[in-house]
Amino acid sequence: MSQRTERRGGIHVDQSDLLCKNGCGYYGNAAWQALCSKCWREEYQKVRHKQIQDDWALAAKLQREEEAAYASSHGSQAQPPPQSTNPQPGHASLGPFSKFEEKKTNEKTRKVTTVKKFFSPSSRSAPKKETQEGKTPSPSLSRRASFDTDQVSKDFMDFLKNLHKPGREIHKQCRAFIVTMSSKKVQDLGADELSECVQDFYQNLSDRLLGHFKGSSESVEQVMDQVEKYIMTRLYKSVFCPETSDDEKKDLATQNRIRALHWVTIEMLCLSFDEEIPEVSENVVKAITDVIEMDSKRVPRDKLSCITRCSKHIFSAIRITKKEPASADDFLPALIYIVLKANPPRLQSNIQYITRFCNPSRLMSGEDGYYFTNLCCAAAFIEKLDAQSLNLSPEEFERYMSGQASPRSSDGVWSSAPPSDPINPVLAQLNTNLEALSGLSTRQEALMEAAQSLQAELLSWPQSVQHEVTGILKKYPLEVPPRHVPAIDDNDDVDNDNLPPPLMPQVFSG
Amino acid sequence: MSAMRVDAKVVMLGKESVGKTSLVERYVHHRFLVGPYQNTIGAAFVAKPIQVGEKVITLGIWDTAGSERYEAMSRIYYRGARAAIVSYDLTDSSSFQRARFWVKELQNCEEHCKIYLCGSKSDLISEDRSLRQIDYHDAQDFADEIGAQHFETSSKTGTNVDELFQKVAEDYNSNAFQEMKPEETSVDLSQKKDSYFYSCCHNN
Repeated sequence: MSQRTERRGGIHVDQSDLLCKNGCGYYGNAAWQALCSKCWREEYQKVRHKQIQDDWALAAKLQREEEAAYASSHGSQAQPPPQSTNPQPGHASLGPFSKFEEKKTNEKTRKVTTVKKFFSPSSRSAPKKETQEGKTPSPSLSRRASFDTDQVSKDFMDFLKNLHKPGREIHKQCRAFIVTMSSKKVQDLGADELSECVQDFYQNLSDRLLGHFKGSSESVEQVMDQVEKYIMTRLYKSVFCPETSDDEKKDLATQNRIRALHWVTIEMLCLSFDEEIPEVSENVVKAITDVIEMDSKRVPRDKLSCITRCSKHIFSAIRITKKEPASADDFLPALIYIVLKANPPRLQSNIQYITRFCNPSRLMSGEDGYYFTNLCCAAAFIEKLDAQSLNLSPEEFERYMSGQASPRSSDGVWSSAPPSDPINPVLAQLNTNLEALSGLSTRQEALMEAAQSLQAELLSWPQSVQHEVTGILKKYPLEVPPRHVPAIDDNDDVDNDNLPPPLMPQVFSG
Repeated sequence: MSAMRVDAKVVMLGKESVGKTSLVERYVHHRFLVGPYQNTIGAAFVAKPIQVGEKVITLGIWDTAGSERYEAMSRIYYRGARAAIVSYDLTDSSSFQRARFWVKELQNCEEHCKIYLCGSKSDLISEDRSLRQIDYHDAQDFADEIGAQHFETSSKTGTNVDELFQKVAEDYNSNAFQEMKPEETSVDLSQKKDSYFYSCCHNN
């Protein structure tokens, strides 16, 4: 440290000050706290190792707590599968397990050396980064945990409790994985790398469960479903539609594309839906709701089950229309139609998210996978859709796309279409709206006319009044008759006779 | 059925109305619906357990839309498939041309996928030999050339249908064993781990 301050001050540095602090004879480096590369590595490993041990202590503590928690509630729980199949359960599971952990530790240290290698020329950012990676995740995790994630964690715990020993390890590994994942800067990692991390984790965990704990493939699948739910609920925010990918741009493009294709009809897709049957239209509405709901789910599997539900509704709609079960030849166009009608929010992001983070075995072969594949197909079809795929001429397609014409009006049905047009309720609605509008405009015209005549009337009224007044004035000219003042003649007053005589003054003596 | 675990993905490929769905319907439900146009029987996805030796293998059978307008998307369907049943109509030479197209696609994109060539509607041929447009030996030669199995089936009578799917399951079973072995060695696991740790510092 002392050498550095000297150097900053511009003072001459003695040769001995440049040597390794440990006195091994090699030159030291300020970036390595004045140690030579060899001593620094040793020093660093020591610190790093201590940290790993601390982490271990913490993990062990957590494990003990958890053990205590379920020892009290599940005192006499059934024994786990490995113990029943393995003659030496304790020893057998301990051996490979510790080996596994050892490997993990090795990997950590290896990572340290590589990171150091990269950063060593450019000063001390490397160790700083390391410590950050080790320590920050836990607070940020707890901060992010909402009610939703808490609930999921609780369910996960409850689920794992029944698994006894494997459950503990699964929990530990999941936690460790989430910590590593959240410590990585999502912006630094591409979406594909994130996906790779998660998929590797799935793969390793299920391999371990199958190989080491001798779980049956059904139970492993169950566990993996729970693991996926737990992990993806926690990671959802950071890995759904990451900024590094162009998912958002694609979402917008798809959304606009679907909006521009609003005119596509059932007939163009060669689709057998009869929406006049109430049951069919009900199923169509449900299917639309389901595919829209997909966006609100966090776990890939939940998203998949939305798609599956949507598909089941489509199948029943086709079955009701055709009176027989549907095949893929009916289903795909129907799904395309539903997607066009629904315009599901963030369709591309959701597809990408499921592809990246869903458990691959489910995605590749199961029933959910089948419907998901169909949805991908529908999205691809909509993206590439052209005149040929709708059996239209390119000119027609152009006109519809530009909004110059709509399929209904070109058929000449427009004017004569009754309000309850069965094919397209939207068009029917449009028709009634247009009718209402034209009614309104005629009424408004009448109103304007009436208003104008009223105005004219109002203008002429004072004139006519004036005219009349002058007429009357002419007819009956104003003659002020001389004012007649009646003369008062006392003599003529007859009544005066009845009056008492006027009082006469009297003289009083005394 | 929805919760059924599936071991292998099997896709049905073929032109419209060659009888992909009928084939599945016959195999799964042992029935054949009579009608003028048979493209609409059965569900699009079926999970069917099959006994192979002492094991039970569940095939997930994926029906696909055969229309040419969805041709560009067919790649999405057969991704990860362990077997593909490419059907053609024995009485329709154009369907065989389409079958060749799919075989080529599969060979290009999905090399681990085993191909089963399936000529359908053999009952029509046995009624009237003049209806046959695809020679058995031509198809067999093609199958040999591409290393595929070849069957002529009839969904109406059930000829060769069970045999076809049984073969698919057996092949999957023997293949799966061969492929499982390298995966079980622990070396693989650590290598994978490496790749994901290195990925966080991808300067190299």
